[in-house]
Amino acid sequence: MAEPLLKVRDLSLTYWRRTGLFGRGSQAIQALNDVSFELNAGETLGIVGESGCGKSTLARCLLRLLRPSNGSIQFDGVDLLALNADDMRQMRQRMQIVLQNPFASLNPRLKGFDLIAEPLRTHAAMTRETMKDRVAALLTEVGLSLDFMNRHPHQLSGGQAQRIALARALALNPAFVILDEPTSALDVSVQAQIINLLIRLQRQRRLTYLFITHDLSVIQHISDRIAVMYLGKIVEETSSEEVFAHPQHPYTQALLSSTPAPDPKSDRQRIILAGTVPSALNPPPGCSFHPRCPQVMDRCRTLRPELRWTSADHRVSCHLFDALE
Amino acid sequence: MTLLKVENLHVQFTTPFGIVRALRGIDFELDKGDIMGLVGETGCGKSVTGRSIMRLLDENAEVTEGRIIFNKTDLLRLSEREMHAIRGDRIAMIFQDPATALNPLFTIGGQINDVLRAHSPAPAAQRRKATLELLASVGLPDPAQMMDVYPHQLSGGQQQRAMIALSLAAEPEVIIADEPTTALDVTIQAQILDLLRTLQRERAISVILITHDLGIVAETCQKVAVLYAGRVVEQGAVAAIFAGPQHPYSRGLLAALPRPGSRGTDLKVIPGNVPSGLERIDGCAFAPRCEFVMERCHRLQPPLFSLAAEHQAACLLHEDRVHG
Repeated sequence: MAEPLLKVRDLSLTYWRRTGLFGRGSQAIQALNDVSFELNAGETLGIVGESGCGKSTLARCLLRLLRPSNGSIQFDGVDLLALNADDMRQMRQRMQIVLQNPFASLNPRLKGFDLIAEPLRTHAAMTRETMKDRVAALLTEVGLSLDFMNRHPHQLSGGQAQRIALARALALNPAFVILDEPTSALDVSVQAQIINLLIRLQRQRRLTYLFITHDLSVIQHISDRIAVMYLGKIVEETSSEEVFAHPQHPYTQALLSSTPAPDPKSDRQRIILAGTVPSALNPPPGCSFHPRCPQVMDRCRTLRPELRWTSADHRVSCHLFDALE
Repeated sequence: MTLLKVENLHVQFTTPFGIVRALRGIDFELDKGDIMGLVGETGCGKSVTGRSIMRLLDENAEVTEGRIIFNKTDLLRLSEREMHAIRGDRIAMIFQDPATALNPLFTIGGQINDVLRAHSPAPAAQRRKATLELLASVGLPDPAQMMDVYPHQLSGGQQQRAMIALSLAAEPEVIIADEPTTALDVTIQAQILDLLRTLQRERAISVILITHDLGIVAETCQKVAVLYAGRVVEQGAVAAIFAGPQHPYSRGLLAALPRPGSRGTDLKVIPGNVPSGLERIDGCAFAPRCEFVMERCHRLQPPLFSLAAEHQAACLLHEDRVHG
């Protein structure tokens, strides 16, 4: 089997928050805690979790927009954390990100043409004619007509703006695209258009996606594998089918049961978790999910569970599976 | 029993770009003790409908036609003073973002106490007891302590619970909940929806739940009205509509949702865009995007046709069923 395109090992990131009078003290916030995974070329890994679980921090670390405190990131055999700034800038041509709100990520003063051409100007030397052809081809690829070259972001609908953001991300022919909640701000009918487009682009360009969302129904549709995060850690990772068929971690089970299904006849058991996600400032000892876990045991309160393989295809971090050892 | 009836409601906004027709004849009924979903995409008029009922529309809005009947009274004909006695007291509203709806300068207990005092002349000690009970009934931990906290000290889910406690204080008959869980995480959303269901069951409160999420409608509501471009295109019992949507728009919306097992397939797409509200629409607003469009759809605005006891759809495809 080919080497994975992306290999992440023990990635941790700690933010320090100043506290006390004149900020003399400091407090650690563990945003990412020993995150490890691999992603094969041409596949999609979905990262799902609620606010504050570290999913967007993870995305920013992978692009080295944030520097992790610990761990390693190998992209196509290259250790990203060892690259100098120039080499990293080169590398970023191959890794792109599309964010949730295109109106916030697109410069409102630029027109469609300049928005899409900007990365070409930065990274590739080409004549204006060639550039125009490239932008036209990209617009066609994302399903927009050529008039969009002359439109400002405020003249676009949410779906159209997200298509421009995609065209811009694809301008330098990246191998890897991080999609951070790309459809969360869109209406259902537009969301379906963008999801179909993402899947078509992936097939045509053999793209590798890291798809970040809080929406389980969207993620199962697009992902080959899914990693569930809670409070900075991956608590479960397996294939998309397996997450839905046999979720193992009690948090994953609760997340699945909390996601409203468009089927009034469904008589599935609702698991309603008590309380909220604890603060990363002061994470609970042991398993960080234990204060909300419906199946909590004594050792969960003190002993941190490790992320372990329960089958060739399924990793979970929960003491319920200790006995399988 | 019908508690609230909205009839042929038209609302328009005067904007620098022209007149926007936000509601173009909304019709629906809320039965006592039901949770009724108003569902639709951005700009369909679901929030404007909620605000029209509360008479909380912005200055540039105007109700041009229609009636809102609540307990035999047309709310639109009441004076501001008379409406004041209904708003909050008999019909309460909760909003998407509790952080902006709660007053940041007063404690949760203080805000509830204010509502209680305005509502009834009970002595302070009794109001305090009532406040504690309200806080407990919405599932806030440690109500005695919650009395004295400010909104910013609460999490989003707790703020929404406090907001619900506040809306319950005057014992309203109807609660209009405008996207009450959109700003919350799914596990917290599940808690809040569960709370709404409990309140409806235990206090026989009727709820209008405004949402864009068909999953929430399926799990929470008994009835639903699907809105498109300021009109109800389909309404009735949730079970009937989800099992067999009869308007091409609702059918399209349900088909556009990714579902378990849909991986690798193309999601169904509704082509085109929602009309802007600035354009004049003569026939069916959905006609330009409809796969079953007929010539007369562009000329005739379809009324709601009754298909079954609790199922109506505004589509000319169903015309024959009514007339013969």
